[in-house]
Amino acid sequence: MRRLPLAAPYLLGSALLVLAPLGLAAALAFTDYFGFRAPEPTGTDNLARLAGDQVFWAAVGTSALVAAVAVPLRLFLAVGAALLLARRRGARTALGRVAAYLPSVVPDAAWALLWLWILNPLYGPLPALLGVLGLPDPGFLTTPWGARLGLVLVMAFQVGEAFVVALAARLAIPSRLHEAVAVEGGSPWFAMTRVTLPLMAPVVLVLAVRDVVVVVQNAFVPALLVTDGGPVDATLTAPLVIYRRAFEYGELGYASTLSVALLVLTGIAAAFPLWLAARLAGRQRVA
Amino acid sequence: MIALSVVFLAPLAVMVLGSLQRPLQPPPNGLDLWPDPAEWANYPAVARFMPLGGLLLNSLLLVVLAVPVTVAVTSMAGLAIVTARGTARRLLVGVSVLTLLVPAATLWVPRVVLLRGVGLADTPFTVALLALAGTTPFYVLLFALAYSRIPRSLLEAATLEGMSPFAVWRRVALPLARPAAVAVAALAGLYYWSTFMDPLTLVSSPGNWPAALGLRTLSEMEVALYPIYLAAAVLVTAPALLAFGVAQRSFFSSVERR
Amino acid sequence: MSLVVEGARKEFVARRGARVLALDGVDLEAKPGELLVVVGPSGSGKSTLLRAVAGLESLDAGRVLIDDRDVTGVPAGRRDVALVFQEAALFPHLRVAANIGIGERARGTRRREVETRVREVARALDLEPLLGRMPDELSGGERQRVALARAMVRSPRVCLLDEPLASVDTELRLRMRAEIRAVQRSFGVPMVHVTHDQAEAMALGDRVAVMAAGRVLQCDTPAEVYARPATAAVARSFGPLPMNLLPAADGVILGVRPERLRVCREGRGRPGSVVAVEPSGEECLVRVLPDGAEQDLLARVPWADAPHPGERVVLAWRPEDEHRFDAATGARR
Repeated sequence: MRRLPLAAPYLLGSALLVLAPLGLAAALAFTDYFGFRAPEPTGTDNLARLAGDQVFWAAVGTSALVAAVAVPLRLFLAVGAALLLARRRGARTALGRVAAYLPSVVPDAAWALLWLWILNPLYGPLPALLGVLGLPDPGFLTTPWGARLGLVLVMAFQVGEAFVVALAARLAIPSRLHEAVAVEGGSPWFAMTRVTLPLMAPVVLVLAVRDVVVVVQNAFVPALLVTDGGPVDATLTAPLVIYRRAFEYGELGYASTLSVALLVLTGIAAAFPLWLAARLAGRQRVA
Repeated sequence: MIALSVVFLAPLAVMVLGSLQRPLQPPPNGLDLWPDPAEWANYPAVARFMPLGGLLLNSLLLVVLAVPVTVAVTSMAGLAIVTARGTARRLLVGVSVLTLLVPAATLWVPRVVLLRGVGLADTPFTVALLALAGTTPFYVLLFALAYSRIPRSLLEAATLEGMSPFAVWRRVALPLARPAAVAVAALAGLYYWSTFMDPLTLVSSPGNWPAALGLRTLSEMEVALYPIYLAAAVLVTAPALLAFGVAQRSFFSSVERR
Repeated sequence: MSLVVEGARKEFVARRGARVLALDGVDLEAKPGELLVVVGPSGSGKSTLLRAVAGLESLDAGRVLIDDRDVTGVPAGRRDVALVFQEAALFPHLRVAANIGIGERARGTRRREVETRVREVARALDLEPLLGRMPDELSGGERQRVALARAMVRSPRVCLLDEPLASVDTELRLRMRAEIRAVQRSFGVPMVHVTHDQAEAMALGDRVAVMAAGRVLQCDTPAEVYARPATAAVARSFGPLPMNLLPAADGVILGVRPERLRVCREGRGRPGSVVAVEPSGEECLVRVLPDGAEQDLLARVPWADAPHPGERVVLAWRPEDEHRFDAATGARR
């Protein structure tokens, strides 16, 4: 406990800005609260309302769907880029690493504006490109499935954080393990599937969990700015529902109920992969 | 590898090209990306649609306040994680993992209620308060990674010399983790420059918004004006790209094992 | 089955463009069924040599021949060479059996056959009880034995060992030496064993190659290298203690091993005074500064005959224990 003073600011800040709000949300979840009068306890009324809230559950379904498509795509890009760019030196490697991170540097709102244009049915370059290639235009902003696909596309490129973590995990594998495979005559494919990826598996699993949280959360910005939840609520994601409840209708109490519900759902989704990652990592401590 | 770079860079190139096209034209026939002639007037025109100067100033204030605090908080916490044992370590790791896995949307409502209660909501620097919690545990992890490469005996020697934990951090550990510090400073700078959801929920007066949130009003513009809003997007993105360009070497070297 | 290295050269570009010559024209031969030990200080190029033979490092000039076949341009996996790494390099996510069999799997051998092969080798190396364990459940010695088994499973043409005992404690090291010898005998594979530990080189090698600064200074049986070191540098580096060198007339350097230097109270020889006495088990190491000399000499004497620091003594040696080297080139005369 000698060095805990160094952790004090972090723990204090986390307590004030993460733990206390979590507690407050849990308390507000069982009240009616509109911001101007004191919260009014309503027992389990909010839970009953939550159970019958079609809009919220549909939004949870949309979030899950977007995550189910976007997370594997993002991980494929991030891990693939990390494997390709793991070589130590060289200007091309350096350039590739910068390129892979660059979309993540663009502010979310600017990124959303960009895609608002790229996907536009009249002016956008992507529908135009599909037209040139003779491919059908799914109607990125006009049809429900087209809009969901558009949302996934917007999310696909900003994988910088996952890329960097995967790169660190790849570089942490001792080079002599790969040399041992090379001496034994293993092909690059064998080295990747039997050595590299299994050794990176715990990190990739944690990344997957983290990415589910990130995608569910970050889809909020394009859903608000690019598709505005539509058409016909096709891209109405869970955070967007919470945002509208809280900041457009002012129902802070019920919005808290939704917040806690989202937290619980995320926790359930995260528990199994995290448990698996801990088990895998425990088995392969590099001595 | 080159194909990969093209995939990642294409949207950015398209953004710049789009921002130089002539606004208020009829929809193009087919794919026509190359602006001819380049319409540079789109950039000064941005100021007519949003108070760019004031918003950029708000963003700058936010970065200047939040980055040093973030670096200080996370670099101390990172050292604590590397040197702590037993319960203390478990507590720190537990808090970090929990924070990473809590969806930000869960915290919107209670944070607003809490900050309104103490009168800290809706100021230009409200969002900077997040730096007190280190902004994100990811930065703590980056520091912990960097510190774990410092020989333990070096830190122990400093402690035996009678240095306080604070002095060990300030005089030994932090100077040896310079690339990580640069990387975290750059990432935190990018975070506060780009932040959208935090001010959207915590700051209600448009005059107090940072520039990234100011872009929101442009999303409701007529689509034929897209070169103008793309120009605004480029203007807000450019400083971020510049900062990343300066810091990328430190950033990637802090990831690499030596 | 044999290995020949001819005129191997390798240059590295270090930081700030400085060039380092890791291999400076190395010739070497490991004969069929022979255990050749390459010994030298760190940075002498011995690991680079080994990695070049394995195909993990390319050569700027020179050739590598395995069984008279030129493999200089052949990629690592097709040389039929096995390599045991310093830290064993076991795959932490695989059980011992899978670790031993990974090479066979990599080459596409069928699972059944691999299992049989692994069992055979594991039996030969007494590893059968460990086959189901994970690497982090093994001791240091067990890890190295697994690595050895992994090298042997393919019946390689040459087996290379890169300081396999460097991270093993003293007692285990002695046992592992015997084990390596036994494995080499029973499989009949030529082995090239790299080490910085000259005691290990002496104990293990059919022949030893002494390396320094990218060159092989001498390559012969341990007894011969000890009895007749080819250069002053070999004399200093090979043996339980570095040889004493004394400048003499006519551009000659005289060399006497500390084991053969006698410290007398009186008689003929070089007078000097005792600088330090250092107990070393049954014996003592005595440092004596001869009168008028700048460099003190080391002698190993029985505990009972040990002088006191400061005492006046006379140093003597038999003429047949005297080595003579050229002062300019260091070559034996």
